[in-house]
Amino acid sequence: MGDSQYSFSLTTFSPSGKLVQIEHALTAVGSGQTSLGIKAANGVVIATEKKLPSILVDEASVQKIQCLTPNIGVVYSGMGPDFRVLVRKSRKQAEQYHRLYKEPIPVTQLVRETAAVMQEFTQSGGVRPFGVSLLVAGYDDNGPQLYQVDPSGSYFSWKASAMGKNVSNAKTFLEKRYTDDMELDDAVHTAILTLKEGFEGQISGKNIEIGIIGTDRKFRQVSALTLSPFLNILLMEKWPFGFKKCQSLVLTPAEIDDYLAEVE
Amino acid sequence: MSRGSGGGYDRHITIFSPEGRLFQVEYAFKAVKAAGITSIGVRGKDSVCVVTQKKVPDKLLDQTSVTHLFPITKFLGLLATGMTADARTLVQQARNEAAEFRFRYGYEMPVDVLSKWIADKSQVYTQHAYMRPLGVVAMVLGIDEEKGPQLYKCDPAGHFYGHKATSAGSKEQEAINFLEKKMKNDPAFTYEETVQTAISALQSVLQEDFKATEIEVGVVKADNPVFRVLTTEEIDEHLTAISERD
Repeated sequence: MGDSQYSFSLTTFSPSGKLVQIEHALTAVGSGQTSLGIKAANGVVIATEKKLPSILVDEASVQKIQCLTPNIGVVYSGMGPDFRVLVRKSRKQAEQYHRLYKEPIPVTQLVRETAAVMQEFTQSGGVRPFGVSLLVAGYDDNGPQLYQVDPSGSYFSWKASAMGKNVSNAKTFLEKRYTDDMELDDAVHTAILTLKEGFEGQISGKNIEIGIIGTDRKFRQVSALTLSPFLNILLMEKWPFGFKKCQSLVLTPAEIDDYLAEVE
Repeated sequence: MSRGSGGGYDRHITIFSPEGRLFQVEYAFKAVKAAGITSIGVRGKDSVCVVTQKKVPDKLLDQTSVTHLFPITKFLGLLATGMTADARTLVQQARNEAAEFRFRYGYEMPVDVLSKWIADKSQVYTQHAYMRPLGVVAMVLGIDEEKGPQLYKCDPAGHFYGHKATSAGSKEQEAINFLEKKMKNDPAFTYEETVQTAISALQSVLQEDFKATEIEVGVVKADNPVFRVLTTEEIDEHLTAISERD
């Protein structure tokens, strides 16, 4: 990979034993838009702000929450282009697992493989770490799960977590509101309220994205985009036919607005 | 507290600075502005139009060879703002990719798929030290079979968005302010309105009236989804229409 001139790692130890490039990558994540995830008793919800650089941007062309498999979704805070790379690699890993074992990849395994990729880029020659933290939400035989993966490649399972600009306020808010027996609908409301806390401007169905997965194990994006099945195939890069398309049942901003109205 | 910034290399190759920034990518954006050209793109109800300045620095130059507007396929156009050499590399690779796509999958590469490909390539340059980011902002235009007219902008950082209207180059921010006012209520521009909005935006932002030979205009229309560069006569018609309107 790359020129032999750069066959040395750019991420090296400082005299105090720290990997400074990873710390800087975390700073990049911390200046990204807020995103959060909450694990309920019967599902998981992930949500993010979707602030676009100008009103001229066609918000339907932007989708921050992506699905990796029909039952696993992911959101990020940090650098969008780096996120796209990880989504592509993760989807391929999920598909390779399915090809080998003829069953959907468990959430922990996918998270582990994605984290391994991120770790690679902190040690390989001539590359920098990824400037993103991921929140992976999935539902498999072990029930609903939520994982956070950092630029260093370390990952933890969370009951609820937040990342990005407003992380400390969001986490405090979540700590107060979280209960172990929360239902999915309550979790969605809490997610919206948490986003609202640090939101600059008027919150609406067009400037946030929400993804949910319940006991039906079908990841849904509740957002203002409309994806045709045709485009879905392109996003999945024409994966082999054994792989079911992501159920991107995308609805109008009306659905998010309904939740917002209930929250008011 | 972290010591130093990786020995000052964060300004030379794409590694993180202490604030979590990528200086090389930011410098690439500056290179786009330094080229001294401003470009504008506007998406209408059934057409897309892009306009850019045509600065020929030397009278001895063959004017027809000075261009920033490139057809990628018969149906897709690309307007490259910034360093011309980087632009030509990008166009060459994009043409290859679009042709392979058509061969491999049996249908024309859609606008957003090409834009994503360009953006993903740009992302690689921001993560691998051995290649610098390209000093080019690319505006891709075309008519999508399902979504209609599309205008995408891809930048050196690897971001790409669809736009209702956008700008790139030295007077990018002024142009965007102008366009935000025009597009505020989601107007559905006809073909003539689209072209004239784009040209008048450029004129207003640069505060000069153009001759037809000083700008390049590229269009795609839904009724004939071929990417076309307008001739000097057609540009003249639009310029006349604009001056009569004012």
